[in-house]
Amino acid sequence: MRRTTIYVCAILAAASIFASACSDQLYLENAATPLALGMDLDKNDKFHFYGTVPVFSKNIKKKSQEIAGTAESLRQSRSFQDAQTAGTIQGRNYQVILLGRRLLQQEDWFAMLDVLFRDARNTITDRMIAVDGQVKDVIYLNPPDQPLMPILLRGMVDTKTKRSETYSTTAQELHRQFFDKGVTPYIAEIKITNKQVQLKGSALLNAKGKYAMSLNAQETVLLSILQKQADPGFSMSYRIPGKPLKGPFETDMLSFTGGKLKTKIKSGYENGRFTFDIHIKTKIGLSEHLFPVNVAQDAKKLEKQASALMEKQIEGLIQKMQKHRLDPIGLGVYARAKQYKQYIKVEEDWPEAFSHAVVNIKVELSIAAMGPVK
Amino acid sequence: MINTEKNSITSMQFIFIISGIQISVAVLSLPRKLAEAAGTDGLLALPLGYLLNLLCGYIIIMVMRKSSEKSLYDTLSKTMGAWVAKGFSLLLAFYFLHLMYDGLVRAILIVKTWLMPNTQGYVLMILLLFPAYKIALGGPRILGRYAELVTVISCWLPFVYLFTLKYAHWLNLLPLFKDGFLPVLTAVKATIYPSLGIIAVFILYPYLQKKEKAVSALVISNSITMSVYIFITTICFIYYSPHESTVFNDPIISILKTIEFRFIERIEIPFISFYLFVFSLVWIPCMYIASFCISQVFGLSDHRFPLRALVIVLAIGTFFYLPTYNQSDKIELWLARFGFCIEYILPSLLLVYLTLYKRFHRRAAS
Repeated sequence: MRRTTIYVCAILAAASIFASACSDQLYLENAATPLALGMDLDKNDKFHFYGTVPVFSKNIKKKSQEIAGTAESLRQSRSFQDAQTAGTIQGRNYQVILLGRRLLQQEDWFAMLDVLFRDARNTITDRMIAVDGQVKDVIYLNPPDQPLMPILLRGMVDTKTKRSETYSTTAQELHRQFFDKGVTPYIAEIKITNKQVQLKGSALLNAKGKYAMSLNAQETVLLSILQKQADPGFSMSYRIPGKPLKGPFETDMLSFTGGKLKTKIKSGYENGRFTFDIHIKTKIGLSEHLFPVNVAQDAKKLEKQASALMEKQIEGLIQKMQKHRLDPIGLGVYARAKQYKQYIKVEEDWPEAFSHAVVNIKVELSIAAMGPVK
Repeated sequence: MINTEKNSITSMQFIFIISGIQISVAVLSLPRKLAEAAGTDGLLALPLGYLLNLLCGYIIIMVMRKSSEKSLYDTLSKTMGAWVAKGFSLLLAFYFLHLMYDGLVRAILIVKTWLMPNTQGYVLMILLLFPAYKIALGGPRILGRYAELVTVISCWLPFVYLFTLKYAHWLNLLPLFKDGFLPVLTAVKATIYPSLGIIAVFILYPYLQKKEKAVSALVISNSITMSVYIFITTICFIYYSPHESTVFNDPIISILKTIEFRFIERIEIPFISFYLFVFSLVWIPCMYIASFCISQVFGLSDHRFPLRALVIVLAIGTFFYLPTYNQSDKIELWLARFGFCIEYILPSLLLVYLTLYKRFHRRAAS
């Protein structure tokens, strides 16, 4: 009796499973997996989407296919995207998302990315990259001597992030930065010069996502230091004032490599303004100095000069950010943790409150190594 | 009626069954609920909930110690009459059915959202019911072994979450008690639903080998549950920004999407599939306990027939109707209320009654 029931159940289950359980299967031949997604606005502020789909075939020389079109939103455009490829478009493998300059000049564009978070099968570790120019130019560039555009960009952003020269901000990380009221978003930025993609550094967005300013590689390193995100091995160069110039070469250049950083941030509140004391301490190794210097004797002097230059550059950076109402450092998070009573009053408009804050910077570099040459 | 010798469970198995019922699907949404109630201070509500659970667990064990007969059912029918005992069993059966259905529906909805959106709910239900039926049929000892097995094979799960520490923002947790003590107290309410399941002691206690160790076993199981909850909630709160924690329905799964390995993309897929083992720790024991209680109500010799009926009704029922996400949330809300009455209030009343009855009875006897 018992055995028969089990058999009956097993047959019933097998039948039902084979009949319909595999409705989620997908053959690779029937799938088109774009590796890059581009979003931009044209001259009339109409929304455009772009995609790069890799082509797997021996007989086709070009390894990727580009799709493009206008749409109201990303998911609404899916049928139109599907119509351009042999398979169905799957959003499961995006590597990078490119954002055009014109799109970034609008506020609240982030809502367009809702489908990434709402459709559970989409990836959310795509690197967000701002394009200084039009996304169209990047997507259709296809240089013959470089890997597929999405792979190139992904590699470019990821490796330079290790050197703190840009940010590999993922879609999820950007989501966090938008939702955290004590920080403003920052993403990587690229530009096309002479038909080559170049990494510019990073783009800072305001609290609503509108493009505010760009940072070059060295400024991005400084920002990473302030964010306590910089890994040892970052490189900086300064022109030491008062050193002689010889010929066309800038022989007053000093470059050094940073070691492990100790960044301390103290927050306070005085006379209606937030105050932040930032103390940066690290050991550096000299990697080049084009002027003669006796490191054994003049190390202290050189340390002071380099520290002062770095301090000055950071102060300039912070002033620029305050002018643009930006707080990519996330000092708001410190204010929330330590000065909650004051912070909660200005939470809704923290960048404004930050623009009035007093930020004191102190940099303390000490030379630990001068390299194998004296 | 109960063969406790053949089916006895060790303290270890007892611990894992109780923790399993508690953690299961409830852990998924816990950080969001805590954040909704008290922001990042919700974390502080967990230790308070823990103390509450310890108290309630102690009361339940005291009730079992006071009941001189083999099982609570026998004690109740002796002290209050057969019909009251039957009513009590029916109530427990309803409660565990509720708990089981909630767990099953949640698991199916999660699989449907994350893994197989185009597959029919009843297919998933049938697939889940097969192993569940086989295990629940075996009785407490098999349940205990299954719980042990699942605990052993899934103890690596928390370590994967450590990969998110790379993006940790510890400052998110500060300041503590940012809006005073009241929000923390309201957040304790959110810890009730994930703590439900201690009442299974009423059924499992007679099978326990070393009854004198029951209290310490219950303390250990509650400690395991709470440390898992504190760990997971901390991970979520330091990863997501404070206003973001409330945006994700199941932050525990969403956070997995952000972990990247070189060899595998989208690790949430194998993870959710593996999580089904953990989820199953709620519906399999509950299935057994519910059918066991029903067999007591009807005076059947064992739980096989109710179990079969239950499985068939579930399979056929899901073909016609599967709750949506919103309805499942409602089920959960009702379960939290129902559970509060059953797990926190009912045992205290029973304890008072049994104490008074004993005192009265002794006086009458002497």
